[in-house]
Amino acid sequence: MRANRNLVAGQRLPRLDGAPKVTGRFVYGADFALPGTLYGKVLRSQVPHARIVRIDTGRARAMPGVRAVITAADIPATRFGNAIKDQTVFATDTIRFLGHPLAAIAATSVEAAEQALAAIEVEVEALPALYDPEAALASGAPLLHRDWHDYVALPFISRDGNVAGRTRMHGGDVAAAFAQAHRVYENRFTTALQHAGYTEPRAASAAWDGGDTLTVWTNAQLPFEVQTTLADILGMPTSRIRVIVPGVGGGFGGKLRIGVEHFAALLARQCGRPVKMVTTSEEELIAAHPRQAAIITLKTGVDRDGRILARQGRVIVDCGAYSGSGPGTGAVALQCLVGPYRTPNLEMESLAVYTNKVPSGSFRAPSGPMANFAVESQMDMIADDLGIDPLELRLRNIVRDGDTGPAGEVLRAVSIEECLRRAADAIGWHDRRPAPGRGKGIACSWWMTTGGSSGVYLKLNTDGSVNLASGAVELGTAALTGAAQVLAEQLTLDLEDIRIAPVDTQSTPYDYGAQGSRTAFSVGNACIAAAEDLRRQAFAVVARHLGLPADEMRLQGKCVVAGEHRVPLSEVARLSQLGGGGLIAHGTAINPPPAYDAARVENHPLPVWNTPSFHAHAADLSVDRDTGEITIHRYVVVQDVGYAINPTYIEGQIEGGVSQGLGQALSEEIVYSDGRVLNANLTDYKMPTSLDVPPIESILVECPSQAGPYGAKGVGEPPCIEPPATVANAIAAATGLWVTSLPITAEKVLLSLRKEYPQAVDHRDSARD
Amino acid sequence: MTRVPLTLSINGEMHELLVAPHWTLLYVLRTVIGLSGAKENCLEAECGVCTVLLDGKAVNSCILLAEQCRGRSIVTIEGLGTSGQLHPLQEAFIRHGAVQCGYCIPGMILTAKSFLDETSGRVPTRDEIREAISGTLCRCTGYQKIIDAIAAVAAETKGGT
Repeated sequence: MRANRNLVAGQRLPRLDGAPKVTGRFVYGADFALPGTLYGKVLRSQVPHARIVRIDTGRARAMPGVRAVITAADIPATRFGNAIKDQTVFATDTIRFLGHPLAAIAATSVEAAEQALAAIEVEVEALPALYDPEAALASGAPLLHRDWHDYVALPFISRDGNVAGRTRMHGGDVAAAFAQAHRVYENRFTTALQHAGYTEPRAASAAWDGGDTLTVWTNAQLPFEVQTTLADILGMPTSRIRVIVPGVGGGFGGKLRIGVEHFAALLARQCGRPVKMVTTSEEELIAAHPRQAAIITLKTGVDRDGRILARQGRVIVDCGAYSGSGPGTGAVALQCLVGPYRTPNLEMESLAVYTNKVPSGSFRAPSGPMANFAVESQMDMIADDLGIDPLELRLRNIVRDGDTGPAGEVLRAVSIEECLRRAADAIGWHDRRPAPGRGKGIACSWWMTTGGSSGVYLKLNTDGSVNLASGAVELGTAALTGAAQVLAEQLTLDLEDIRIAPVDTQSTPYDYGAQGSRTAFSVGNACIAAAEDLRRQAFAVVARHLGLPADEMRLQGKCVVAGEHRVPLSEVARLSQLGGGGLIAHGTAINPPPAYDAARVENHPLPVWNTPSFHAHAADLSVDRDTGEITIHRYVVVQDVGYAINPTYIEGQIEGGVSQGLGQALSEEIVYSDGRVLNANLTDYKMPTSLDVPPIESILVECPSQAGPYGAKGVGEPPCIEPPATVANAIAAATGLWVTSLPITAEKVLLSLRKEYPQAVDHRDSARD
Repeated sequence: MTRVPLTLSINGEMHELLVAPHWTLLYVLRTVIGLSGAKENCLEAECGVCTVLLDGKAVNSCILLAEQCRGRSIVTIEGLGTSGQLHPLQEAFIRHGAVQCGYCIPGMILTAKSFLDETSGRVPTRDEIREAISGTLCRCTGYQKIIDAIAAVAAETKGGT
């Protein structure tokens, strides 16, 4: 890391919300309750695909404690959704997945609501279901959304029947390049549905003010999206809907899309009382917004030296019953599938496909780990086949500063070589197979710092502290502490002088939201702009007070310095209250995408990446040949963060992201059988425990960006991208075979060793060391 | 439903309550008394966020009936320390960057306290700490900094808190 000259930014300072959290005083969405609240519950379908014949709520309405019952019959069939407005609050005439909401009940206790749910009579007529996205693509497959033509969609979306979104990226002449290639490799990879795994369930409380204004307290990641979605559903102007985020117990993308807020709002409206809803673990695993399962085929042509001549890829993401984040997730997979490699000829396509399973969403680096698993596994297969060291093969192909990316954009601040070399050094790459059954693997990637705008207000307090109001939610990453460090640095304050206001759509400025590795970056930039505004106003206040020119003033040590005079910011605040209604400053930020070649991209929401980051991971592990069990001894991450605003919490992002990535690599899968989830509880859905996560070493590279605060790049998502590929490649180093299906369970490894698992690429007979 | 009188000792205070026989300790803490430091998630003793101390031992309050706590001493995270005077574990969790979203942290800290009190008189190994907290899921941190924090307190206090 570079020498850091800042006093607050770049320092390992403790997060601002630490004490409330460790003392149990921090109020989360699931903790929040209004006096006199009722409790809401949702009736969910028990079949995956069916026509609704009859729903009778008569008996339920008469049950003790029941105060409100609603079904599709009680509300307009308004459609809502993120990219495509294809969902309704309740199934109207068709059930499209097991878990589909059919009715909601509010009662005086959770038990009363649950008992009443059981009294609702549902009669259905089963329809043939589609669980496999490839089957859904086949000609003659039943259409899961007969009215898809009528759905409103974002302009970039290209749809056709069961395809909710198709995206393409292309350049050069792939067919000609394959014809001239020394070797051409083609592989197929599959990945599984993965839950975001936040420990706090999704929760919301809703109350109407007696007039026509709704307030919702929710643990959502995107309060402004909740506000507009509720406006769609309720047919109300957004300003009549106030969304407040008390506190969030983890999100990881799983709390981006609306969760239970709409049920709470509708129930509260019907009974005129506040309603609180909290999801169960079962609901989370059958009906939340998990990471899509994907099927990826990748064909790569190389020359004799292993240089990539052409790549052709196809990504199918299984959206489930509704499109959710699927079209965008499929699209972004394409940049990941190209990887940080020079690819002169490319042809990439993604398809987001409807099936009769849980509607999926966005989970940390959506599509990143899936595509990376494919491209990085295949890089190692190519290296092995050509007898080239996998690190060397990567170094021959990686992009360099000034190269063009897949959309024809010019890449800057490229650090992938340093990341790869340092990861290799740290893991001891020279000894890649230190013992029988033991091997080391490496994988690398790039990722975007998502754009979108941020606004912040600052209020200068009479004790010299500053309130920071941002519409970006603190999910736990400490991104807001990071933004506050940037702000404190700009204003010569200490970190403890910054007070972060709770997010409230009524009073906090707009923010594109806590997503996409953008929060500390974008809110930090808005803080820099707001600090400039605060300085300007503070100097004007002092100029009026002392009769001195503002243009010769500066901030130093929490004071405005004007010649011989030092006016503390606390005094500036007092003066501003006497004469100017207090001091409020405003700042905004937007990171525009770089120029690109539009002819290379079709129907892509993020055709070119802003301020990309680069990273490499390496693992050292052993494979038990008798059980297939994997034991990871060491795990190394080298990540280019541009500028480490707070190294402690960046390490926290890396350690947590790797843990989630290792879960995806080795154990996590929402297992479906005939449309039913078999492991809808936290014992059988296997997230890593403290016994499963190996020691993780973080090495931070600082190759500064032009756009981020002090040169920062996006940090939060990347750590979960490379673990599946890194583990797969280390297993291959240990065994000579790649399992091409996630999760790589012990069972799959063992069957592969016995040549009994079809989704393995076995180089044992041709392996060269 | 019939309610029965029950007196509970929580964080050193006696609470005289009328409870339904099926109410869990977690329900009583969060909904009846208003102590929301014990968190709610799986309600099946799979995730550990509801952990409290019962006679000094970490238990999952989501599967413990309030009635089972009659005559016993309950300590929740609110009884451990305050912002002005943090318990060494609370202070160490902040110092080591072990807190992210924080939802599992009350359970983690109380589990750690129970474990360190059990191993009082010696310094437990990292692997022992790793095993001791394995019943509490954390999705944010990868556990590393949590283990760092507990190990630091263990080293300072020779186990026991």
